[in-house]
Amino acid sequence: MSLFRPLLVRSLTMVGVFFVVLLMLVLTLGLTGFSDRILAATIGEQLRAERTALAETIRDPDEMEKVLEKRREELEIFYGLRTPWYYRLPRTALRVLTLDLGEARSLRSFDGSNRVFDIVTERVPNSMLLLTTSFIITAIIGIVGGSYLATRQGSWLDRFVSGFAAVSYAIPTWWIGILFILILSIQLRILPSGGMYSTPPPTEPLPRFFDLVSHALLPVITLVLVSFGPSIYSIRTITLNIAQEDHVKIARAKGLPESRVRLRHILRVAAPPIVTGLLFGLAGSLSGSILVETVFNWQGMGRLYYDALAGTPDENVIVALTFIFTLMYVAIRIVLEVLYVFLDPRVRYTD
Amino acid sequence: MNTANALRELLRSGPGFGGVSLLGLLIVVALYVLLVFPLDFGESQWSNPIVWVDNPKAVPPAWTNSLRPEARPLHRVFEGTEPHTVQMARSGPVHSWRFPLNYASSHPPTFLAVTLADVTYAERPPLVLISLKRPDGKQLRIYRHTVRGPREGESGPFSRYGQTPLRVQLSTDEATVTAVQNFLADEFDLRLDGAQIGGRVDRFLFGVPTGDSEEAFAPLTGDYEIIVQAAMREEGDSVGKVRFVVGGAVFGLMGTDSLGRDLARGLLFGVPVALFIGIISALMSTAIGTSLGIASGYLGGRADITIQRISDIVANVPVLPLLIFMLFIVGPSLWMIIVILVIFGWPGLTIQIRSMVLHVRTNQLVEAIQSLGASRRRVMFRHILPQITPYVFAQLIFGAPAAILSEAGLSFLGLGDPSIPTWGQILEAGFRTGGIYLGYWWWIVPPGLCIVITALTFMLLGLGIEPVVNPRLRRSPP
Repeated sequence: MSLFRPLLVRSLTMVGVFFVVLLMLVLTLGLTGFSDRILAATIGEQLRAERTALAETIRDPDEMEKVLEKRREELEIFYGLRTPWYYRLPRTALRVLTLDLGEARSLRSFDGSNRVFDIVTERVPNSMLLLTTSFIITAIIGIVGGSYLATRQGSWLDRFVSGFAAVSYAIPTWWIGILFILILSIQLRILPSGGMYSTPPPTEPLPRFFDLVSHALLPVITLVLVSFGPSIYSIRTITLNIAQEDHVKIARAKGLPESRVRLRHILRVAAPPIVTGLLFGLAGSLSGSILVETVFNWQGMGRLYYDALAGTPDENVIVALTFIFTLMYVAIRIVLEVLYVFLDPRVRYTD
Repeated sequence: MNTANALRELLRSGPGFGGVSLLGLLIVVALYVLLVFPLDFGESQWSNPIVWVDNPKAVPPAWTNSLRPEARPLHRVFEGTEPHTVQMARSGPVHSWRFPLNYASSHPPTFLAVTLADVTYAERPPLVLISLKRPDGKQLRIYRHTVRGPREGESGPFSRYGQTPLRVQLSTDEATVTAVQNFLADEFDLRLDGAQIGGRVDRFLFGVPTGDSEEAFAPLTGDYEIIVQAAMREEGDSVGKVRFVVGGAVFGLMGTDSLGRDLARGLLFGVPVALFIGIISALMSTAIGTSLGIASGYLGGRADITIQRISDIVANVPVLPLLIFMLFIVGPSLWMIIVILVIFGWPGLTIQIRSMVLHVRTNQLVEAIQSLGASRRRVMFRHILPQITPYVFAQLIFGAPAAILSEAGLSFLGLGDPSIPTWGQILEAGFRTGGIYLGYWWWIVPPGLCIVITALTFMLLGLGIEPVVNPRLRRSPP
């Protein structure tokens, strides 16, 4: 029971997030008349297609117009354009919920499908690859660096890292990526400037893997560079606070070896808040990765946003992307929240 | 602690001093821009290609010349309104303008262009002639133009080139190419055809043959003179403005982008815009966050639970995807960006303020005032708010960089407000047109640096103010 309640509250919050986002999507689409415009465009396209088909059989232009007008009426009723948006959009929301995401206007998946579901889902692994790699590296640097710095409080290194962390908050991640491209790819020609594989991509598995690594290097370094400062700093502060608690003094007084004190008495207790901090960092890096993917032409969901926005925007793709992004985020968060409840015994009693 | 003391303490800390001086600098620049630039700078100038037509495209700043072994040509613009001399000839008065040009670069100019504006004549159109006098004493006529004559049914006096000035790109002008062709044949005995000269007029005009091959020319440095003559037919005819541009390969303080826009001006205009975005969004989200936080902490009960649940949810929404989505739907506008940033910007503060208020409401002052029968609103805003104000102030300052970075990111995705140029939009243009792959660093580095410096200003201010308003954070002596 004690385990159940906090789990429920946390999951409900995330489910709430999910529905708030869905509601905002639907409201924005409806209130601005945007969904009407999309539907009208869809109907117009369908009518144009039918006109060319009908031109084979119907010769008389007046007759043709009459047939098409009737067909337009049918289509408008079929798509629900005749009813106000708030009757129609719940159905749309339901459709989106079941991942029936419609078709893209001009974007295609890597093997040519125009279903939005295909286009978006094939990008998910690419995004996850970039995101998880940099997240894990940042977490490791943060934990190792933070617990080390906690023993060097007030040293020049400590002050440097706290300054560096503050500066990190003022730096746009994507601009650092651009600088890397400018210096390392364009001037020095050390690393590729974008994409995931060379053209043509290597076919052997091992060279292919190294090709991927060389392309992933710059985006991962960029993402890690701007997030590891704050990560080290917050972990250092958490660790420091716990190191001053009585149970640590007792452990030391008992004469336990320092390594054991650090690992079992400080880090174990600091683990839950550290995980929370990293979780919140995840939200930030999710946003950061949209822009970093764009800069490095990494074929993930972030770059898809940029491609869908450029030129004639692909509305369906943008709606679906926003939805799937939130879905992904909420799913990751729920998994991590569950882990957190198991990690921190105190939560079970206090929440 | 009174304000003067707090300020003194703020200035004594390293980050505080840095933040205050940077903010002062930014405010001075912002005020200068507001005074000097038109408010519709974005529409009337930045996105108006006519303004930038005489600038070289995508060239680095002029000061880069001092970093290179050989100087690239500077951009030179000569403009004349009143004629320098007026001579009487048999056909009428001849107005002339003489522009001295000391050419020191070892590269030819990138282009030559001439513009005529506001020509008026009584009866017969004037004739405009432009000649170039070279340091080696040779002189040639590079341009000849008869102003458009009267149309049928039109009566004098006639004005020409008022609304749309006449602009001629000499580098590709057919008559100029022919003039250069004749010049090369007469002076250097070189016979080149039009295709060999077209578009490369500048290197022949500003060079001497090296003798290696027909087309090999080395730049000729020294004192040139550009002579513009307008032969009028009547007393009182006039040419209002003459403009001669010797296109450079470097430009101004910050260089230009691929449309020839002066990046220094775009960057300057970005200063007040960025400050505005940062300060307004921070103010609004702090106001919402603080009031909800106080209400939640002080009122308690169902109001508290509702507010806390809502802030939990809003705080966990992945903001950037939603920002992109909503801006895409409602169309890019600066106000929309600010409104959306505010909608998602308040919950963090609400949660923190609530826990502070829970603490404050139990102190004796508040309890005493409550027992005196003060209304709940009065207690909240007259007695609780002042106690947490310093903290709120620090949070306000920390809120600004996030807003500035968000706007820059959205602009970079192409969702910036097209009527108001920002640093993010300059970067976006540089990225979209492939500027980074061509190594146009002057287009990419400065706008990013501006963003970083502005965001850093607020970070430093916040770091400086925090220990002042929250004495517990003051570093204890080791």
